[in-house]
Amino acid sequence: MKHRRLIPLIILIFLFVSTSTACSIGTKESSTLVYGLTLSPTGIDPHLNASSELGIPLASVYDTLVFRDPASGEFVPGLSETWSISPDGLTYTFFLRRGVTFHDGTIFNAQAVQANLEYVMNPDHHSQKAQFMLGPLQEVEIIDDYTVALYLSEPFAPLLDSLSDVYLGMASPVALETWGPTEYQFHQVGTGPYRFVEYIPNDKITLTRNPDYAWAPSIYQNAKAKIDTIVFRFYEDPATRAIALESGEVDVIGEIPPHDADRIAVSSDFDLYPIAIPGQPMQFFFNTKKAPTDAALVRRALIHAINRPQAVKTIFGVYSPVADSPFLASSFNLEPQESFPTYDPETAGTLLDEVGWRITDEEGHRSRNDVPLELHIVAPPWGSNSEMAQLIRADWEAIGARVTLEIAPGFGPLKEAQAEGEYHAIGINLFGTDPDLLRSFYSSTGLYNWSQFEDPEIDRLLTQAAQESLDLDARLNLYEQVSSRVQEEALVLPIRNYVNLVAVNNRVEGLHFTAQGWYPILIDLQLAP
Amino acid sequence: MVSHSDRSSIGALTTVGRRFIEGVLTAWTAVSLTFFALRLIAGDPIASLLSQGLASPDQVENLRRSLGLDAPLFVQYLNFLAGFFRGDLGTSLFTGRPVSTVIVEQLPATAQLAFAGLGFALLFGLTLGVISAWKEETPLGQFAASLAGLATALPVAFTGILGLILYRQLLVVIPLLSVVKIRRLFLPALLLGFASAGAIARVVQAGLKETMKGPYILAARARGIEHGFRLLWHALRPALPPVVSLTALEAAFLFAGTVVTETVFSRPGLGRLLVTSILQGDYPIAQGLVVLAAVFYTISHMLADILAFTIDPRLRRVT
Amino acid sequence: MRHHLPLLLSVGWLLIVLGVSIAAPMISQVNPLHPVAEPLLSPSQHPPLGTDALGRDVWTRIVYGGRLSPGSSFAAMAITVVVGGIAGLIASSLGGWFDRVIVWLSNSLLAIPGLLLAMLLVAAMGPRLLTVILAVGFGGAPGFVRLSRTMFHQIREQNYVTASVALGANRTWIAIHHLLPNAKNQLLSLATTHYAWAFMGTTTLTFLGLAGDPSIPEWGVMLNAGRAHLIDAPWLALWPGCAISLTILAIHRLGAWLSQREEGY
Repeated sequence: MKHRRLIPLIILIFLFVSTSTACSIGTKESSTLVYGLTLSPTGIDPHLNASSELGIPLASVYDTLVFRDPASGEFVPGLSETWSISPDGLTYTFFLRRGVTFHDGTIFNAQAVQANLEYVMNPDHHSQKAQFMLGPLQEVEIIDDYTVALYLSEPFAPLLDSLSDVYLGMASPVALETWGPTEYQFHQVGTGPYRFVEYIPNDKITLTRNPDYAWAPSIYQNAKAKIDTIVFRFYEDPATRAIALESGEVDVIGEIPPHDADRIAVSSDFDLYPIAIPGQPMQFFFNTKKAPTDAALVRRALIHAINRPQAVKTIFGVYSPVADSPFLASSFNLEPQESFPTYDPETAGTLLDEVGWRITDEEGHRSRNDVPLELHIVAPPWGSNSEMAQLIRADWEAIGARVTLEIAPGFGPLKEAQAEGEYHAIGINLFGTDPDLLRSFYSSTGLYNWSQFEDPEIDRLLTQAAQESLDLDARLNLYEQVSSRVQEEALVLPIRNYVNLVAVNNRVEGLHFTAQGWYPILIDLQLAP
Repeated sequence: MVSHSDRSSIGALTTVGRRFIEGVLTAWTAVSLTFFALRLIAGDPIASLLSQGLASPDQVENLRRSLGLDAPLFVQYLNFLAGFFRGDLGTSLFTGRPVSTVIVEQLPATAQLAFAGLGFALLFGLTLGVISAWKEETPLGQFAASLAGLATALPVAFTGILGLILYRQLLVVIPLLSVVKIRRLFLPALLLGFASAGAIARVVQAGLKETMKGPYILAARARGIEHGFRLLWHALRPALPPVVSLTALEAAFLFAGTVVTETVFSRPGLGRLLVTSILQGDYPIAQGLVVLAAVFYTISHMLADILAFTIDPRLRRVT
Repeated sequence: MRHHLPLLLSVGWLLIVLGVSIAAPMISQVNPLHPVAEPLLSPSQHPPLGTDALGRDVWTRIVYGGRLSPGSSFAAMAITVVVGGIAGLIASSLGGWFDRVIVWLSNSLLAIPGLLLAMLLVAAMGPRLLTVILAVGFGGAPGFVRLSRTMFHQIREQNYVTASVALGANRTWIAIHHLLPNAKNQLLSLATTHYAWAFMGTTTLTFLGLAGDPSIPEWGVMLNAGRAHLIDAPWLALWPGCAISLTILAIHRLGAWLSQREEGY
C-alpha cells in the first residue's frame, strides 16, 4: 500500500473530531422535553434569589401553601387545605394537607413550614425577594403537626399572594439544613410534580418526573406529570433563540425577539404564545435628588420628549402595548386618573424654557447659567432595556440635552450604580401579582425607591392599601390615588407592558401558565405521538 | 532508542529537568504579576459588595477578616500562593462559591469544544499546508495559501456569525442538519479550528518546501507522479516536529478563541464564564481563569519542547 | 505587477478608511446615534446600507466607525509600541541584569494569551472603550518587548555600532544615536504587523460588550448588535464584519510588504 502511513493519520484525526463531536449529540428520547431559558441567574434558590427566570423550572419542583387561579385570580388550596384569617388581619392559620412527602422522603408538616419561613427570614441569608414578600411577619407558631399560625405585627393584605408564589415554595427542611444557603440551590428538594436533578450554571437545569405526586391543586389539569425528563438550557443571547427552536434544539423557548416572532407566528411547525406578564411595565425612574431632574417640570418635559409609541413599535413590534400608567399591570386593572403626557417635543421645549434651560448654541444645546443640560441614563442589560435607553437618549438629545448612557451589566452593578447616585434616569421593574409590589418602589423607605422621592401622602396611601382591608376594590382605589400622585410629580417614565413571546414546537401540547405569567405548568405538558 | 549511550540519556534527562524548572518559574512569575497588578489596579475586591447592598458594613468587615484581606498585601500574596497549591483559587464575590468549583463545572464544555477545535485545526492546517506546498505553482496551491492567510486574519467573531447565517440557510434546504445537533458543537469547533489552522498551515508549508528541495525528493518527483503520496509522507515527516510543538501552543491559545466562540454560539463554558465575571466585576473568577490559562500554557509549552525533543534526534545532539 | 495588486488594494482600502473617517461629517449629515427612519430597512429600501434595529443609518455608523475602530486600535498599538519598544531598547542597550529581568518578565507574561491579559485588565478597570484601549495596549506589550529587543540586538551587532562601543561611546548615546535611527524602518514594520493584532484585539473586546456603551458606532459593537438579526437582516452583521476583516487583511498585507522590504534591504 502506498498510502498506508498517511491514511491512518487522517483517519485518526477524523475519529478525534467525530468522537468529540458525537459524544454530546446522543439521541433524544420521546419523553424528554428541552425548554429554553433566556437569562442565566447568578443564583436559583427561590427563597434567596429574585430572578423571575428561576420560577420557570422551579414552580414545578415546589408546591405552595395556596395557589392562585390564573383565570379568576382566586386563591385555591395547595399544601394548605383550608386557612383562616383573624378579623384584625394579624393572624393567618393554615390547616395543612396530610400525606405529602418531599422528594427526599421527608414528611411535609407544620415543622417544615416553620423551617422554610425561618430560612427565608434569616438575616444572614440575604433573601433578595422572599423575605420582603412576607412583609411584617413576626412569628411562626406550630399549633399541632398539621396546623401552623403566622403572626403579623400589622395587617398585610398581600400575604396570601406571596404564599402562592414559588419564592415561598415549600422546601424539605432536611435539605435546607444539610446544604445551607450557598449550596442548597444545587440540591433543591420540594414536593412538586417534578424533582430537581441537577443544575450546572450557564449550562442546564434538569428535572425528572415525580412518580409519587398525588396532591395536585385544582389549577393543574393532570394529576401526574406526563413527560419523564425536562431539560432547561440557557439562551441568553436573543439572536440564537429562534435558531435553537427551528433547528430542533429546544421545544419551548421564551422571549423570542419580535422580528423572529413574526416568522414563527405564521409557521406551520411552531406556535407563538404572547403571554402578558402581570407586574410593572418597563420603566425608567427619574432621580429627584439630582439636578436637573430634581425639578418636576424638567421631569415632565423629559416625558413629553419621548416618542413612546414609536419606540415601543421599533423594539417590540406589534406585540407590546405602550404603558400609559406609572404602574400597570394587566392583572391590577389600574386606570390612570388623568391622561398620561403624550409625545410633544414642543411642549417639552416650552417647559424647559420656562425653568431656564434655554437653547444657547447653534447646535441646539440647552444650558442654564452656563451649566449645560446634561443627563445620565443607567439601564439594566436585560429585556431590551439597553436598546430602549438608546432611543430615549436620541429623543432627549433632540430637545437639546447632552446625554450619556451606561449599561449596567447585571443586577449587582445596577444596584451599585444606583447607590452611587450619579444617574438622572435608571431602569428597573419587577413582576408580581399583587399591587403591593408598588410599595417598595414608591414608599420613602422602599428598597427600590430609586426616584428617591419622599412623600408622606404616598406613604400613607400605600400603607393603608396594604393594611386596611382585604377588599380588592377598596385597595385598588387607594392605588389609583397613588398613581395620580406619582403622575403629578412625574417620577417615572413608563414604556411598555410586558408580553413574553413564547415560541413552541407544535409537538408540545397543553402549554399554559400560572397566574404569575412567567411560569409554565409543566405537569400538563405532553408530547404529541 | 536502546542504542543511545547512558550519557546522552542523562543529558536528555537534565534538559527535561531544566525545562521543567524553567516552566514552573515562568508560571509562578505570571501568576504573581497578575495578582499584584489586579490588586493595585482594582483595589479592594470586597468594597463593591457593600455598595451593591449585598452585605452590611459589619458583614463586609467579617468577610474581609475571614478572607485575610485585612493583612498586608505581601501576606495576602503568600496566602494566595498557599491556596493555589491547595487548589483553592478564592471565592466568587457574588455567589460565595469556591472559584475552583465554578471553574470545574464549566471545564468539560470548554474542553470538548477546544479538543474538537484542535482536531479541525490539525485537519485544515495539514491539508492547506500540504496543498499549498505541493501544488505551489498551481491555482489550487495559491488558493490554499490564501485560504490559510484568511484563516489567520479573519476574526472568529465574524466567521462565527457567517457560519451561523450559512447554517440557518442550509437548515431550510437540508433538514437533516437539525437532527444531528450540529449547531452546539460541530459548527463552533469547525470555526474555532479554522481560526487556528492558518498558523499550522504556514509551518507545514514552510517545512515541506524545505524538505522538498532535498535531492532524493527531487529525483523521485522526476520519476513520476505515481509515488505522490509516498513521497509526500517522506517529505512531511521531517516537517512535523515544529507542527507538533505549534499544535501544543495552539491548544493553549484555543482557550482565548473559545471566549468568542462560546459567546457567538451561546455555549456554556470557561470563555463565557470569563466574560460574565468581567462584566459583573467578579474578578476572583477572572483571576482564577487567567492563572489557569498561564499554568496550562506553561505545561503545554513544556510538553511541546519535550515532544519535539523526542521526535527529532538532531535536537538531542545539540543539547 | 500582478504581485503588487493585493498590496495596492490594501493601501487603497486603508486610504479610503482614513479619508472617509476624516471627512465623516461631510459624507453623512445625520447623527450616527439618532434614528432616521423605520428600523431594519434593507439596503435597497434605505440606500446605501439600510437601517439598524433602532432605525439608525448604518452607512453613517460605518463611516463614523471608521474613526472609532481604527483610531482606538491605533492608540492601543501606540501604547504597545512605546511601552514595549522602550523596554526592549533598555534591555538591549543596558544588558546584564536589566536585560535578564525584562526578558524574564515579558516571557512570563507571554504565558497568558494577549487577549486574556487584556480582558483581565478590563476586569480590573471596568468595561469602557478607554479601558479596552489601555488593556489591548498593555496586553500586547510583552510580545512586543521580545520582538523589539531582538531587533535592537541585531542592530548592535552591526559593525559601526560595535565600532562605537570599541571607541568607548556611552550606552545611552549609542541607544539614541545608533539604535533608534537605524531601527526606524524595522520598527515601522513591526508596528504595522502589531497594528493588525491590536485591531483584532480591540474589535474582539468591543464585540464581547466590554466597551460598555452599546450605542457607539464602533465596528465591533455593531457586529455584536447585528447578531440579533442574522435571519431577517443579515447585512447588519455583514457590513461591520467585512469592514473589520478587510482592514485587518489590508494591514497584514502592508506589514508583510514592509518586512519583506526590510529583509530585501
